[in-house]
Amino acid sequence: MPPRNHKNWLKVPKIEHISSACYNNHSIYEQEIEHIFAKVWVPMCHFSEMSNDGDYRSTQIAHQNVVAVNTKGIVKVFLCPSIDRPAGNGFDTSGLKELHSELKHGGMVWTTLDPNPTQSVEEWTCGAFDCIADAIDSEDMEVFHYHKAVIDTNYKLWHDTNSEFYHDFMHYFNRVSGFNDEYFARKNIPFDNGHVNVSSFTVNYEEYDGFEDRGELSFPNLPPNQWYMVDLFPGFNFNLRGSAYRSDTVTPLGPNKVLIEFRGYGLKKDTPEERQTRIKHHNSIWGPFGRNLHEDLIGVAGQGTTMREGTEARNILHGRHENSTIHDEVGMRHYYEAWGKFLGVSPANPLGLATDDMIAAE
Amino acid sequence: MDSESNDMENNSSADIERKIEKTIYQAALALDKNNWADWFKLCDDSFFYSITSFSPEISKDMTYFSGDKKELIGLMEMLPKHNTDHSPLHRHTSVYTIDVSDDGKTAESVSSVVIYQNMLDGINSHLDSGESRLFVIGKYHDKFLINDGVPKFINRETKIDNRRLDKGSHWPL
Repeated sequence: MPPRNHKNWLKVPKIEHISSACYNNHSIYEQEIEHIFAKVWVPMCHFSEMSNDGDYRSTQIAHQNVVAVNTKGIVKVFLCPSIDRPAGNGFDTSGLKELHSELKHGGMVWTTLDPNPTQSVEEWTCGAFDCIADAIDSEDMEVFHYHKAVIDTNYKLWHDTNSEFYHDFMHYFNRVSGFNDEYFARKNIPFDNGHVNVSSFTVNYEEYDGFEDRGELSFPNLPPNQWYMVDLFPGFNFNLRGSAYRSDTVTPLGPNKVLIEFRGYGLKKDTPEERQTRIKHHNSIWGPFGRNLHEDLIGVAGQGTTMREGTEARNILHGRHENSTIHDEVGMRHYYEAWGKFLGVSPANPLGLATDDMIAAE
Repeated sequence: MDSESNDMENNSSADIERKIEKTIYQAALALDKNNWADWFKLCDDSFFYSITSFSPEISKDMTYFSGDKKELIGLMEMLPKHNTDHSPLHRHTSVYTIDVSDDGKTAESVSSVVIYQNMLDGINSHLDSGESRLFVIGKYHDKFLINDGVPKFINRETKIDNRRLDKGSHWPL
Protein backbone atom coordinates (compact mmCIF):
# COMPACT_ATOMS: atom_id res chain seq x y z
CA MET A 1 0.00 0.00 0.00
CA PRO A 2 1.51 3.38 -0.93
CA PRO A 3 2.07 5.83 1.91
CA ARG A 4 -0.86 8.13 2.53
CA ASN A 5 -0.41 11.76 1.53
CA HIS A 6 -2.20 14.60 3.30
CA LYS A 7 -5.31 14.33 1.15
CA ASN A 8 -5.60 10.60 1.77
CA TRP A 9 -4.94 11.14 5.45
CA LEU A 10 -8.00 13.40 5.78
CA LYS A 11 -10.27 11.21 3.63
CA VAL A 12 -13.20 9.61 5.40
CA PRO A 13 -11.93 6.16 6.46
CA LYS A 14 -13.87 3.08 5.44
CA ILE A 15 -13.85 1.74 9.01
CA GLU A 16 -15.28 2.97 12.30
CA HIS A 17 -13.76 6.27 13.35
CA ILE A 18 -14.44 9.49 15.21
CA SER A 19 -13.27 13.03 14.57
CA SER A 20 -10.73 14.76 16.79
CA ALA A 21 -13.25 17.64 16.91
CA CYS A 22 -14.95 15.59 19.64
CA TYR A 23 -11.97 16.48 21.83
CA ASN A 24 -11.34 20.14 21.22
CA ASN A 25 -14.43 22.11 20.31
CA HIS A 26 -15.84 24.59 22.81
CA SER A 27 -19.40 24.30 21.55
CA ILE A 28 -19.27 20.51 21.97
CA TYR A 29 -17.87 20.95 25.46
CA GLU A 30 -20.80 23.21 26.39
CA GLN A 31 -23.25 20.66 24.97
CA GLU A 32 -21.59 17.91 26.99
CA ILE A 33 -22.02 19.90 30.18
CA GLU A 34 -25.68 20.59 29.44
CA HIS A 35 -26.76 17.29 27.90
CA ILE A 36 -24.49 14.77 29.62
CA PHE A 37 -22.98 15.94 32.93
CA ALA A 38 -26.15 17.77 34.02
CA LYS A 39 -28.19 14.63 33.32
CA VAL A 40 -26.27 11.54 34.42
CA TRP A 41 -25.65 9.97 37.83
CA VAL A 42 -22.28 11.13 39.19
CA PRO A 43 -20.30 9.26 41.91
CA MET A 44 -19.35 12.43 43.81
CA CYS A 45 -17.56 10.93 46.83
CA HIS A 46 -17.44 7.92 49.14
CA PHE A 47 -19.48 7.50 52.30
CA SER A 48 -16.33 6.96 54.41
CA GLU A 49 -15.32 10.57 53.66
CA MET A 50 -18.39 11.76 55.56
CA SER A 51 -19.23 8.93 57.94
CA ASN A 52 -19.99 11.01 61.08
CA ASP A 53 -23.29 12.69 61.79
CA GLY A 54 -23.07 16.23 60.41
CA ASP A 55 -20.14 15.56 58.06
CA TYR A 56 -20.37 17.13 54.63
CA ARG A 57 -18.45 16.86 51.37
CA SER A 58 -18.67 19.22 48.41
CA THR A 59 -18.00 19.02 44.69
CA GLN A 60 -18.94 20.70 41.44
CA ILE A 61 -21.04 19.08 38.73
CA ALA A 62 -21.75 20.85 35.44
CA HIS A 63 -20.62 24.18 36.94
CA GLN A 64 -23.04 23.75 39.89
CA ASN A 65 -21.83 23.58 43.50
CA VAL A 66 -23.13 20.48 45.22
CA VAL A 67 -22.85 19.36 48.84
CA ALA A 68 -23.54 15.95 50.37
CA VAL A 69 -24.49 15.98 54.05
CA ASN A 70 -24.65 13.09 56.53
CA THR A 71 -27.69 13.47 58.75
CA LYS A 72 -27.74 10.66 61.31
CA GLY A 73 -26.33 8.19 58.78
CA ILE A 74 -28.59 9.28 55.94
CA VAL A 75 -26.85 11.08 53.07
CA LYS A 76 -28.70 13.88 51.33
CA VAL A 77 -27.31 15.99 48.51
CA PHE A 78 -28.12 19.64 47.85
CA LEU A 79 -27.46 22.32 45.27
CA CYS A 80 -25.49 25.01 47.01
CA PRO A 81 -24.87 28.56 45.74
CA SER A 82 -21.43 28.77 47.32
CA ILE A 83 -19.22 26.63 49.48
CA ASP A 84 -15.71 27.43 50.66
CA ARG A 85 -14.49 24.06 51.94
CA PRO A 86 -14.16 20.61 50.39
CA ALA A 87 -15.33 18.92 53.60
CA GLY A 88 -16.22 19.57 57.21
CA ASN A 89 -18.85 19.07 59.87
CA GLY A 90 -21.95 21.17 60.37
CA PHE A 91 -23.60 22.58 57.27
CA ASP A 92 -26.85 24.50 57.22
CA THR A 93 -28.98 23.09 54.42
CA SER A 94 -32.10 25.12 55.11
CA GLY A 95 -33.46 26.66 51.94
CA LEU A 96 -31.23 24.56 49.69
CA LYS A 97 -32.69 22.51 46.87
CA GLU A 98 -32.28 18.79 47.45
CA LEU A 99 -31.06 16.61 44.61
CA HIS A 100 -31.75 12.95 43.97
CA SER A 101 -29.07 10.82 45.60
CA GLU A 102 -28.26 7.20 46.36
CA LEU A 103 -25.60 5.22 48.21
CA LYS A 104 -24.58 2.44 45.85
CA HIS A 105 -21.78 0.27 44.45
CA GLY A 106 -19.32 -0.04 47.32
CA GLY A 107 -20.56 2.95 49.33
CA MET A 108 -20.24 5.65 46.66
CA VAL A 109 -22.47 8.70 47.05
CA TRP A 110 -24.29 9.20 43.73
CA THR A 111 -26.22 12.26 42.72
CA THR A 112 -27.68 13.83 39.60
CA LEU A 113 -28.65 17.37 38.69
CA ASP A 114 -31.55 15.92 36.70
CA PRO A 115 -34.70 16.83 38.71
CA ASN A 116 -36.58 13.89 37.18
CA PRO A 117 -34.16 11.02 36.57
CA THR A 118 -35.75 8.25 34.56
CA GLN A 119 -33.43 5.59 35.98
CA SER A 120 -32.15 4.62 39.44
CA VAL A 121 -28.38 4.22 39.89
CA GLU A 122 -28.86 0.45 39.57
CA GLU A 123 -30.73 0.94 36.31
CA TRP A 124 -28.23 3.52 35.05
CA THR A 125 -25.18 1.30 35.66
CA CYS A 126 -27.20 -1.66 34.32
CA GLY A 127 -24.90 -4.50 35.36
CA ALA A 128 -21.50 -2.92 34.74
CA PHE A 129 -20.57 -3.43 38.42
CA ASP A 130 -21.75 -7.05 38.61
CA CYS A 131 -18.24 -8.41 38.00
CA ILE A 132 -16.90 -6.79 41.19
CA ALA A 133 -20.09 -6.53 43.28
CA ASP A 134 -19.14 -9.44 45.57
CA ALA A 135 -15.76 -7.82 46.23
CA ILE A 136 -16.88 -4.23 46.90
CA ASP A 137 -20.28 -4.79 48.49
CA SER A 138 -19.55 -7.61 50.96
CA GLU A 139 -17.66 -5.43 53.46
CA ASP A 140 -17.62 -1.69 54.19
CA MET A 141 -14.82 0.06 52.33
CA GLU A 142 -12.81 3.08 53.42
CA VAL A 143 -10.96 5.71 51.40
CA PHE A 144 -7.25 5.94 52.27
CA HIS A 145 -6.00 7.94 49.29
CA TYR A 146 -7.05 11.16 47.60
CA HIS A 147 -5.24 13.35 45.12
CA LYS A 148 -6.19 15.30 42.06
CA ALA A 149 -4.72 16.31 38.75
CA VAL A 150 -5.58 19.16 36.41
CA ILE A 151 -4.43 18.12 32.97
CA ASP A 152 -4.50 20.02 29.68
CA THR A 153 -6.48 17.41 27.83
CA ASN A 154 -10.08 16.49 27.06
CA TYR A 155 -11.86 14.43 29.73
CA LYS A 156 -12.74 11.74 27.17
CA LEU A 157 -9.07 11.14 26.45
CA TRP A 158 -8.67 10.15 30.10
CA HIS A 159 -11.67 7.85 29.83
CA ASP A 160 -10.28 6.47 26.55
CA THR A 161 -7.02 5.57 28.25
CA ASN A 162 -9.02 3.56 30.76
CA SER A 163 -10.97 1.96 27.89
CA GLU A 164 -8.45 1.03 25.21
CA PHE A 165 -5.74 -1.24 26.50
CA TYR A 166 -3.20 -0.99 23.71
CA HIS A 167 -1.67 1.93 25.62
CA ASP A 168 -0.49 -0.83 28.00
CA PHE A 169 2.51 -1.07 25.66
CA MET A 170 3.55 2.30 27.15
CA HIS A 171 3.85 0.74 30.61
CA TYR A 172 7.02 -1.24 31.19
CA PHE A 173 5.39 -2.65 34.33
CA ASN A 174 2.44 -4.06 32.36
CA ARG A 175 4.66 -5.40 29.60
CA VAL A 176 6.62 -7.56 32.05
CA SER A 177 3.88 -8.41 34.54
CA GLY A 178 0.93 -8.94 32.27
CA PHE A 179 1.54 -9.64 28.62
CA ASN A 180 0.64 -13.31 28.40
CA ASP A 181 -2.11 -15.38 26.78
CA GLU A 182 -4.48 -14.74 29.68
CA TYR A 183 -4.02 -10.97 29.32
CA PHE A 184 -4.66 -10.96 25.56
CA ALA A 185 -7.82 -13.02 26.12
CA ARG A 186 -9.41 -10.45 28.48
CA LYS A 187 -12.80 -9.38 27.19
CA ASN A 188 -14.34 -5.94 26.81
CA ILE A 189 -18.00 -6.25 27.76
CA PRO A 190 -20.39 -3.43 26.79
CA PHE A 191 -23.44 -2.47 28.87
CA ASP A 192 -26.29 -0.11 28.08
CA ASN A 193 -25.75 3.63 28.56
CA GLY A 194 -22.19 3.50 27.21
CA HIS A 195 -20.61 1.56 30.07
CA VAL A 196 -17.98 -1.13 29.58
CA ASN A 197 -16.13 -3.48 31.83
CA VAL A 198 -12.97 -5.43 31.25
CA SER A 199 -12.67 -8.99 32.49
CA SER A 200 -9.89 -10.07 34.79
CA PHE A 201 -6.64 -11.98 34.55
CA THR A 202 -3.79 -12.80 36.92
CA VAL A 203 -1.08 -10.15 37.21
CA ASN A 204 2.42 -11.52 37.81
CA TYR A 205 3.76 -8.73 40.03
CA GLU A 206 6.95 -10.63 40.81
CA GLU A 207 8.06 -10.29 37.18
CA TYR A 208 8.93 -6.64 37.86
CA ASP A 209 12.38 -6.36 39.49
CA GLY A 210 11.99 -5.53 43.17
CA PHE A 211 8.26 -6.34 43.34
CA GLU A 212 6.82 -9.38 45.06
CA ASP A 213 3.73 -11.50 44.54
CA ARG A 214 0.68 -9.78 46.04
CA GLY A 215 -1.52 -12.79 46.58
CA GLU A 216 -1.33 -12.42 50.36
CA LEU A 217 -4.06 -9.75 50.39
CA SER A 218 -7.12 -9.34 48.23
CA PHE A 219 -10.75 -8.24 48.46
CA PRO A 220 -13.69 -10.42 49.60
CA ASN A 221 -14.55 -13.14 47.08
CA LEU A 222 -11.75 -11.99 44.77
CA PRO A 223 -9.05 -14.54 43.89
CA PRO A 224 -5.50 -13.22 44.41
CA ASN A 225 -3.80 -10.84 41.94
CA GLN A 226 -6.92 -10.25 39.81
CA TRP A 227 -7.55 -7.01 37.92
CA TYR A 228 -11.06 -5.88 36.94
CA MET A 229 -11.99 -2.54 35.40
CA VAL A 230 -15.36 -0.79 35.16
CA ASP A 231 -15.55 2.18 32.76
CA LEU A 232 -18.69 4.11 33.48
CA PHE A 233 -20.07 6.64 31.01
CA PRO A 234 -19.23 9.50 30.68
CA GLY A 235 -15.93 9.51 32.62
CA PHE A 236 -15.86 7.50 35.83
CA ASN A 237 -13.56 4.57 36.30
CA PHE A 238 -13.44 1.84 38.95
CA ASN A 239 -10.38 -0.34 39.08
CA LEU A 240 -9.93 -3.39 41.31
CA ARG A 241 -6.37 -4.66 41.23
CA GLY A 242 -5.54 -7.37 43.78
CA SER A 243 -5.32 -5.68 47.16
CA ALA A 244 -6.40 -2.14 46.23
CA TYR A 245 -9.44 -0.48 44.71
CA ARG A 246 -9.31 2.83 42.87
CA SER A 247 -11.82 5.26 41.44
CA ASP A 248 -11.28 8.15 39.01
CA THR A 249 -13.82 10.95 38.72
CA VAL A 250 -13.56 13.56 35.97
CA THR A 251 -14.79 17.15 36.06
CA PRO A 252 -14.39 18.74 32.62
CA LEU A 253 -13.04 22.29 32.90
CA GLY A 254 -13.01 23.09 29.20
CA PRO A 255 -12.56 21.29 25.89
CA ASN A 256 -8.87 20.90 26.69
CA LYS A 257 -8.74 20.83 30.48
CA VAL A 258 -9.94 18.29 33.00
CA LEU A 259 -9.83 17.80 36.75
CA ILE A 260 -9.35 14.14 37.67
CA GLU A 261 -9.85 13.04 41.28
CA PHE A 262 -8.16 9.80 42.31
CA ARG A 263 -9.21 7.75 45.32
CA GLY A 264 -7.77 4.57 46.80
CA TYR A 265 -9.78 2.22 49.01
CA GLY A 266 -9.25 -0.62 51.47
CA LEU A 267 -11.64 -2.42 53.77
CA LYS A 268 -12.86 -0.65 56.89
CA LYS A 269 -11.99 -3.74 58.95
CA ASP A 270 -8.33 -3.78 57.79
CA THR A 271 -5.72 -4.30 60.47
CA PRO A 272 -3.04 -1.54 60.50
CA GLU A 273 -0.66 -3.98 58.76
CA GLU A 274 -3.21 -4.84 56.08
CA ARG A 275 -3.93 -1.17 55.47
CA GLN A 276 -0.23 -0.37 55.09
CA THR A 277 0.11 -3.21 52.59
CA ARG A 278 -2.87 -1.96 50.56
CA ILE A 279 -1.51 1.60 50.56
CA LYS A 280 1.90 0.44 49.42
CA HIS A 281 0.48 -1.75 46.68
CA HIS A 282 -1.85 1.06 45.55
CA ASN A 283 0.94 3.64 45.47
CA SER A 284 3.42 1.49 43.61
CA ILE A 285 1.25 1.50 40.48
CA TRP A 286 -1.43 4.14 40.91
CA GLY A 287 0.00 6.74 43.30
CA PRO A 288 1.11 10.16 42.03
CA PHE A 289 4.68 8.84 42.26
CA GLY A 290 3.79 5.31 41.11
CA ARG A 291 4.98 3.45 38.03
CA ASN A 292 1.87 3.66 35.80
CA LEU A 293 -0.24 6.71 36.68
CA HIS A 294 2.54 9.17 35.78
CA GLU A 295 2.94 7.44 32.39
CA ASP A 296 -0.82 7.50 31.73
CA LEU A 297 -0.99 11.22 32.52
CA ILE A 298 2.00 12.01 30.30
CA GLY A 299 0.21 10.09 27.54
CA VAL A 300 -3.09 11.97 27.73
CA ALA A 301 -1.34 15.32 28.17
CA GLY A 302 0.49 14.57 24.92
CA GLN A 303 -2.78 13.69 23.19
CA GLY A 304 -4.27 16.94 24.49
CA THR A 305 -1.33 18.84 23.05
CA THR A 306 -1.62 17.33 19.59
CA MET A 307 -5.42 17.68 19.42
CA ARG A 308 -5.88 21.06 21.07
CA GLU A 309 -8.25 23.67 19.68
CA GLY A 310 -7.08 25.09 16.39
CA THR A 311 -5.35 21.93 15.21
CA GLU A 312 -6.49 20.34 11.97
CA ALA A 313 -9.30 17.84 12.53
CA ARG A 314 -8.24 14.27 11.92
CA ASN A 315 -9.86 10.86 12.00
CA ILE A 316 -9.28 8.59 14.96
CA LEU A 317 -9.77 4.97 13.97
CA HIS A 318 -11.78 2.59 16.11
CA GLY A 319 -11.59 -0.30 13.68
CA ARG A 320 -9.96 -3.10 15.64
CA HIS A 321 -12.23 -6.14 15.76
CA GLU A 322 -10.58 -8.94 17.71
CA ASN A 323 -13.46 -10.95 19.14
CA SER A 324 -13.93 -8.35 21.91
CA THR A 325 -10.54 -9.24 23.41
CA ILE A 326 -8.35 -6.79 25.21
CA HIS A 327 -7.20 -4.59 22.30
CA ASP A 328 -10.49 -4.79 20.38
CA GLU A 329 -11.95 -1.28 20.20
CA VAL A 330 -15.46 -2.49 20.95
CA GLY A 331 -15.44 -0.48 24.20
CA MET A 332 -14.48 2.73 22.41
CA ARG A 333 -17.10 2.19 19.71
CA HIS A 334 -19.74 1.47 22.36
CA TYR A 335 -18.87 4.60 24.37
CA TYR A 336 -18.94 6.97 21.39
CA GLU A 337 -22.20 5.52 20.14
CA ALA A 338 -23.78 6.48 23.48
CA TRP A 339 -21.99 9.84 23.46
CA GLY A 340 -23.35 10.65 20.01
CA LYS A 341 -26.89 9.77 21.10
CA PHE A 342 -26.67 12.07 24.14
CA LEU A 343 -25.59 15.00 21.98
CA GLY A 344 -27.57 14.11 18.87
CA VAL A 345 -24.43 14.19 16.72
CA SER A 346 -22.25 11.77 14.81
CA PRO A 347 -18.89 11.33 16.58
CA ALA A 348 -17.37 10.97 13.11
CA ASN A 349 -18.55 14.47 12.23
CA PRO A 350 -19.79 16.13 15.42
CA LEU A 351 -19.91 19.61 13.92
CA GLY A 352 -21.92 18.42 10.91
CA LEU A 353 -19.36 19.84 8.52
CA ALA A 354 -19.41 19.01 4.83
CA THR A 355 -16.50 16.69 4.05
CA ASP A 356 -14.57 16.40 0.81
CA ASP A 357 -16.24 13.03 0.24
CA MET A 358 -19.70 14.60 0.58
CA ILE A 359 -18.76 17.41 -1.76
CA ALA A 360 -17.38 14.92 -4.28
CA ALA A 361 -20.60 12.88 -4.05
CA GLU A 362 -22.63 15.97 -4.88
CA MET B 1 45.24 20.04 72.18
CA ASP B 2 45.35 16.21 72.37
CA SER B 3 43.52 14.07 69.84
CA GLU B 4 40.71 13.15 72.24
CA SER B 5 39.80 16.75 72.98
CA ASN B 6 40.16 17.50 69.27
CA ASP B 7 37.56 14.81 68.55
CA MET B 8 35.31 16.28 71.18
CA GLU B 9 35.71 19.69 69.60
CA ASN B 10 34.92 18.28 66.09
CA ASN B 11 31.93 16.43 67.39
CA SER B 12 30.49 19.29 69.43
CA SER B 13 26.81 19.87 69.02
CA ALA B 14 27.37 23.00 66.91
CA ASP B 15 29.76 21.13 64.65
CA ILE B 16 27.31 18.25 64.22
CA GLU B 17 24.56 20.74 63.42
CA ARG B 18 26.71 22.30 60.71
CA LYS B 19 27.41 18.86 59.26
CA ILE B 20 23.73 17.95 59.30
CA GLU B 21 22.83 21.20 57.57
CA LYS B 22 25.49 20.52 54.94
CA THR B 23 24.17 16.96 54.46
CA ILE B 24 20.62 18.25 53.85
CA TYR B 25 21.89 20.70 51.24
CA GLN B 26 24.09 18.05 49.61
CA ALA B 27 20.99 15.85 49.36
CA ALA B 28 19.09 18.69 47.64
CA LEU B 29 21.91 19.14 45.13
CA ALA B 30 22.13 15.40 44.41
CA LEU B 31 18.36 15.10 43.99
CA ASP B 32 18.23 18.18 41.73
CA LYS B 33 20.80 16.47 39.48
CA ASN B 34 18.96 13.10 39.62
CA ASN B 35 22.25 11.82 41.00
CA TRP B 36 20.64 9.02 42.98
CA ALA B 37 23.99 7.40 43.81
CA ASP B 38 25.27 10.51 45.57
CA TRP B 39 21.97 10.81 47.43
CA PHE B 40 22.15 7.21 48.60
CA LYS B 41 25.73 7.78 49.83
CA LEU B 42 24.26 10.25 52.32
CA CYS B 43 21.83 7.60 53.59
CA ASP B 44 22.43 4.85 56.13
CA ASP B 45 21.54 1.30 55.05
CA SER B 46 18.51 1.51 57.37
CA PHE B 47 17.19 4.57 55.49
CA PHE B 48 13.43 4.82 54.95
CA TYR B 49 11.82 7.43 52.71
CA SER B 50 8.23 8.58 52.38
CA ILE B 51 6.11 11.30 50.78
CA THR B 52 3.06 12.11 52.89
CA SER B 53 0.25 14.63 53.02
CA PHE B 54 -2.91 15.36 54.96
CA SER B 55 -6.15 15.49 53.00
CA PRO B 56 -8.92 17.70 54.39
CA GLU B 57 -11.07 16.19 51.64
CA ILE B 58 -11.05 12.73 53.23
CA SER B 59 -9.83 13.83 56.69
CA LYS B 60 -6.87 11.48 56.63
CA ASP B 61 -3.11 11.43 56.81
CA MET B 62 -1.95 9.83 53.60
CA THR B 63 1.21 8.21 52.30
CA TYR B 64 1.77 8.89 48.61
CA PHE B 65 5.04 6.98 48.29
CA SER B 66 7.37 5.01 50.57
CA GLY B 67 10.29 2.64 50.46
CA ASP B 68 13.48 1.55 52.19
CA LYS B 69 16.92 2.13 50.70
CA LYS B 70 17.00 -1.20 48.88
CA GLU B 71 13.58 -0.58 47.32
CA LEU B 72 14.54 2.96 46.31
CA ILE B 73 17.76 1.83 44.66
CA GLY B 74 15.77 -0.79 42.72
CA LEU B 75 13.13 1.74 41.62
CA MET B 76 15.76 4.25 40.47
CA GLU B 77 17.61 1.56 38.54
CA MET B 78 14.37 0.74 36.69
CA LEU B 79 13.69 4.35 35.67
CA PRO B 80 15.35 4.10 32.22
CA LYS B 81 12.73 1.50 31.28
CA HIS B 82 9.87 3.89 32.10
CA ASN B 83 8.37 6.95 30.44
CA THR B 84 9.08 9.86 32.75
CA ASP B 85 8.58 13.60 32.51
CA HIS B 86 12.19 14.78 32.56
CA SER B 87 11.37 18.41 33.31
CA PRO B 88 14.01 19.14 35.99
CA LEU B 89 12.97 19.72 39.60
CA HIS B 90 14.70 22.38 41.71
CA ARG B 91 14.51 22.12 45.48
CA HIS B 92 14.81 25.31 47.52
CA THR B 93 15.53 24.14 51.04
CA SER B 94 15.90 26.06 54.30
CA VAL B 95 16.88 24.20 57.44
CA TYR B 96 14.67 25.42 60.27
CA THR B 97 15.55 23.23 63.27
CA ILE B 98 18.16 20.64 64.21
CA ASP B 99 17.93 18.75 67.50
CA VAL B 100 20.86 16.55 68.41
CA SER B 101 20.23 13.88 71.05
CA ASP B 102 21.99 14.14 74.40
CA ASP B 103 24.31 11.26 73.58
CA GLY B 104 25.16 12.82 70.21
CA LYS B 105 24.35 9.63 68.30
CA THR B 106 21.13 10.73 66.59
CA ALA B 107 19.50 13.95 65.47
CA GLU B 108 16.25 15.21 64.00
CA SER B 109 15.69 18.19 61.76
CA VAL B 110 12.88 20.06 60.06
CA SER B 111 13.47 21.95 56.80
CA SER B 112 11.18 23.87 54.54
CA VAL B 113 11.21 22.78 50.90
CA VAL B 114 9.75 24.43 47.82
CA ILE B 115 10.13 22.47 44.59
CA TYR B 116 9.89 24.13 41.20
CA GLN B 117 9.55 22.30 37.91
CA ASN B 118 11.37 23.77 34.93
CA MET B 119 9.28 22.81 31.93
CA LEU B 120 10.90 20.93 29.07
CA ASP B 121 7.62 20.88 27.20
CA GLY B 122 3.99 21.81 27.68
CA ILE B 123 0.73 22.40 25.90
CA ASN B 124 2.69 24.71 23.60
CA SER B 125 6.39 24.01 23.91
CA HIS B 126 7.25 27.20 22.01
CA LEU B 127 5.72 29.13 24.91
CA ASP B 128 6.03 26.76 27.86
CA SER B 129 9.53 25.31 27.59
CA GLY B 130 11.91 27.02 29.98
CA GLU B 131 9.11 28.21 32.24
CA SER B 132 9.39 27.32 35.92
CA ARG B 133 6.24 26.25 37.71
CA LEU B 134 5.66 25.64 41.37
CA PHE B 135 5.49 21.87 41.77
CA VAL B 136 5.04 21.23 45.51
CA ILE B 137 5.61 22.87 48.87
CA GLY B 138 6.22 21.14 52.18
CA LYS B 139 8.71 20.18 54.81
CA TYR B 140 11.45 17.62 55.16
CA HIS B 141 11.26 15.82 58.51
CA ASP B 142 14.66 14.13 58.71
CA LYS B 143 16.29 11.75 61.19
CA PHE B 144 20.02 11.07 61.30
CA LEU B 145 22.37 8.50 62.71
CA ILE B 146 25.74 9.99 63.70
CA ASN B 147 28.80 7.72 63.57
CA ASP B 148 32.29 9.12 64.07
CA GLY B 149 30.94 12.61 63.64
CA VAL B 150 29.35 11.80 60.25
CA PRO B 151 25.55 12.20 60.02
CA LYS B 152 23.64 9.93 57.68
CA PHE B 153 19.93 9.98 56.90
CA ILE B 154 17.98 7.14 58.50
CA ASN B 155 14.55 8.59 57.75
CA ARG B 156 13.12 11.31 55.54
CA GLU B 157 9.43 12.15 55.53
CA THR B 158 8.68 14.64 52.77
CA LYS B 159 5.43 16.05 54.06
CA ILE B 160 3.82 18.04 51.28
CA ASP B 161 0.84 20.38 51.47
CA ASN B 162 -0.28 19.49 47.93
CA ARG B 163 -3.07 17.12 47.06
CA ARG B 164 -3.16 18.47 43.53
CA LEU B 165 -0.18 16.84 41.84
CA ASP B 166 -1.12 16.94 38.16
CA LYS B 167 1.14 14.58 36.21
CA GLY B 168 3.07 13.55 39.33
CA SER B 169 6.59 12.17 39.00
CA HIS B 170 8.72 9.05 39.11
CA TRP B 171 11.35 10.84 41.20
CA PRO B 172 11.75 11.17 44.96
CA LEU B 173 11.20 14.77 46.07
